[in-house]
Amino acid sequence: MRFAIGIIVVLAAVCAAGSFITQGQSFDWYAARYSERIAGLIIALGLDDIFHSPGFVVLSAFLCADLIFCNISRVKQLSARYRAEKDPARAFDGVPQVSASGIADPLQIFKKLGMGEPVKIEPSAGLLTSEEGSGSSANNERAGLSSTKKGLGLFASKNAAGLWGAWVCHLGILLLIAGFALGQFTKSEYTVYGVPGQTKPVGDSGYELSIDDFRIELSGSGSVSQYRSDIRVSPVGGGEGSPSGRPASISVNHPAKLYGMKFYQNSTGWAAKITITKNGELLQQDWLCAGEFVPVEDMPELVIYYNAFYSGPTLAPAGPETAAEDIETPAYLYTVYYMGQILGMNVLIGDEPLIIDDYVVTFTEPRPYTLIQVKKDSFTGLAFAGGIVTLLGLALAFYVQPSRVWAYEEEGSWTVCGSSPRGGRIFEESFLRAAEAAKGEAAQGCADREGREGEAVPSKSVSEREEDHAQG
Amino acid sequence: MLKAENTLFTIVMLLYFASMILYFIFVAFKREKLAPAAQLVQAAGFALHTAALICRGVGAGRLPMTNQYEFATSFAWGLCLVSLIFIRRFRFPVLGAFSSPVMFLIIGYAAMQSKDVKELMPSLRSNWLGFHVSTAIIAYGAFGVSFVLALIFLARDRLTRGGFFDEHIPDREMLDMIGYRSVSLGMLFLSFTMLTGAIWAEQAWGSYWSWDPKETWSLVTWIVYAAYLHLRIRGGWRGRSAAVFAALGFVCVMFTYIGVNTFLPGIHSYA
Ligand code: HEM
Repeated sequence: MRFAIGIIVVLAAVCAAGSFITQGQSFDWYAARYSERIAGLIIALGLDDIFHSPGFVVLSAFLCADLIFCNISRVKQLSARYRAEKDPARAFDGVPQVSASGIADPLQIFKKLGMGEPVKIEPSAGLLTSEEGSGSSANNERAGLSSTKKGLGLFASKNAAGLWGAWVCHLGILLLIAGFALGQFTKSEYTVYGVPGQTKPVGDSGYELSIDDFRIELSGSGSVSQYRSDIRVSPVGGGEGSPSGRPASISVNHPAKLYGMKFYQNSTGWAAKITITKNGELLQQDWLCAGEFVPVEDMPELVIYYNAFYSGPTLAPAGPETAAEDIETPAYLYTVYYMGQILGMNVLIGDEPLIIDDYVVTFTEPRPYTLIQVKKDSFTGLAFAGGIVTLLGLALAFYVQPSRVWAYEEEGSWTVCGSSPRGGRIFEESFLRAAEAAKGEAAQGCADREGREGEAVPSKSVSEREEDHAQG
Repeated sequence: MLKAENTLFTIVMLLYFASMILYFIFVAFKREKLAPAAQLVQAAGFALHTAALICRGVGAGRLPMTNQYEFATSFAWGLCLVSLIFIRRFRFPVLGAFSSPVMFLIIGYAAMQSKDVKELMPSLRSNWLGFHVSTAIIAYGAFGVSFVLALIFLARDRLTRGGFFDEHIPDREMLDMIGYRSVSLGMLFLSFTMLTGAIWAEQAWGSYWSWDPKETWSLVTWIVYAAYLHLRIRGGWRGRSAAVFAALGFVCVMFTYIGVNTFLPGIHSYA
């Protein structure tokens, strides 16, 4: 168990570190932020991608191995304990955590503690005896009855299933980690963006996606309430507008599942129509989304990159809620590359042409494009199942607390004992309260703890529990 | 409705303040009779606080749990609820004396936030929001109570020289047990919060876990409390050290809540 605690504490520390160091940046970024030496250290130790670093993976693997080992090694012992917990024949086996004697009506205590109907048992001979005549059962001694004074016994056990709580919780964590890890290794993710009317391939998935419509819905006050895309997905080569295409309408928080992939409405931005003419003749025309580039058709070394869109002339970034008609002066930030080298970078305002030798480039008709995220992860379900099992385990461990109450009669008066290691003092107190109530009048004079302890003795020992856990 | 909320909010602050003073007099001057009065005032504050949150919800046309102000006032509400339950369940009014200042601090923090009702961005428009945030409120409330219990635990020996505290503060074993109950309540609800959050993130962003700072810190918090639970089981750590860990857990909770939004921007930093 010490090992397990060590691992999870180190994991927590690594996670905390990962949240302080911005993830996924370049050496230059870290150098600018900290210093070159620290940047070098961050990159060398993999702290720039801490959650996928070998160290993190190894730590998680150790945690899993420990959990597996722990859970396997405890199955036998737990089932034995579970059976013992419910077994009336072993009612008198354990050390009672708390007991009360001189009770006239023990059923009342069973009832008060919600133990259900107790079973009648015949306390068998051979039990260790309690000290003759001592009215209250002794602290750490076995409560039982003298074999010579065989009387009637009662026994009830509840919530034994709670013994499995931690086990179930650990199993859930294992499933969760397994689902997450398998997902990391096997999932595929794609991004598709475009304006209505375009059809684009979904990465290398073998499918293509047509954007039929894209709407930005506004609420009364003018802020965006929803982005909605109508899409169709079909296998590549299914033919133009093939009937096999499956349609869906997606919006934020409402993804669609098609062909085993999930399609998410992710975000939006500004697209524009780029027109390139050569010597006055139309060479090519295409929709470009901000962030996309096109090589010039008859000179592919020459590349036009469309960086960003502004609603000029103040060059404020255009918000998604701005309608295309409302943009008075569109402005386009572009970069021109020739054989990988930057030739120039500037802003085109309105229909202003960009002239590169024989070529004339213009941007027109700005309009919002839709950005759709596509994901295929077959293990999401496993991870969520793990989460639910973990929750169940926690609920079992914390709120289904096993307890046993048993009673025996000695010369017309009952001694009632109880045990609930997990319930600890809280169980003891409810037991004592129930015992007091069962005693009725007699108990009223001793409401405080000292007074009570003379009559009903909570055993201070919690050894049963510690023994069980020492091995984890 | 929002005006009514404003008025109610002010009254709630006053009532919480009054109950804090009553609790204070109860412990500082050992006036036993004031304990029930303090509890009553706190309960009245809680009732009006509930009404205020309902007004806010009706006025804004959605659950009042989406920005810093709303979450802070809900947090104070959760803490008030859980502390009332624990005070009653364990007949432990001294708990109120320690929890009411924390409650007052949080509602004071809420009062400093902007109360504007803003439209929700599309990703927040989900039914999961309600499950996600309401479970977080209970978790935070429970962790707040466990923090206070840890402080009482650590201060106990110094406090109990007089007979008054001996009578009003449970012994160490019982305090440890009550603290354990509050941590387990918090742990269960924090796990709920994380699960519902993951389901929601899966729908809204297409990824149920993306190591964003808020997510990461809730995991850190979760692990710290898991460590508390295991250390406690090992026996030797019962008591003092477990109390230190429970207090540390709440520091993580507060960092997840306020620190992350302030220092570590990510997709969770709305408002
Ligand atoms: C993130 C990791 C873990 C979490 C969240 C977790 C959670 C829990 C919880 C909630 C309990 C019940 C505590 C209680 O009832 O007070 C528990 C008990 C326990 N855990 Fe873990 N655990 C983790 C890792 C481990 C590992 C790696 C081991 C490996 C040995 C382990 C061994 C145990 C043992 C022996 C118990 C006591 C079982 C019992 O009371 O029946 N835990 N754990």
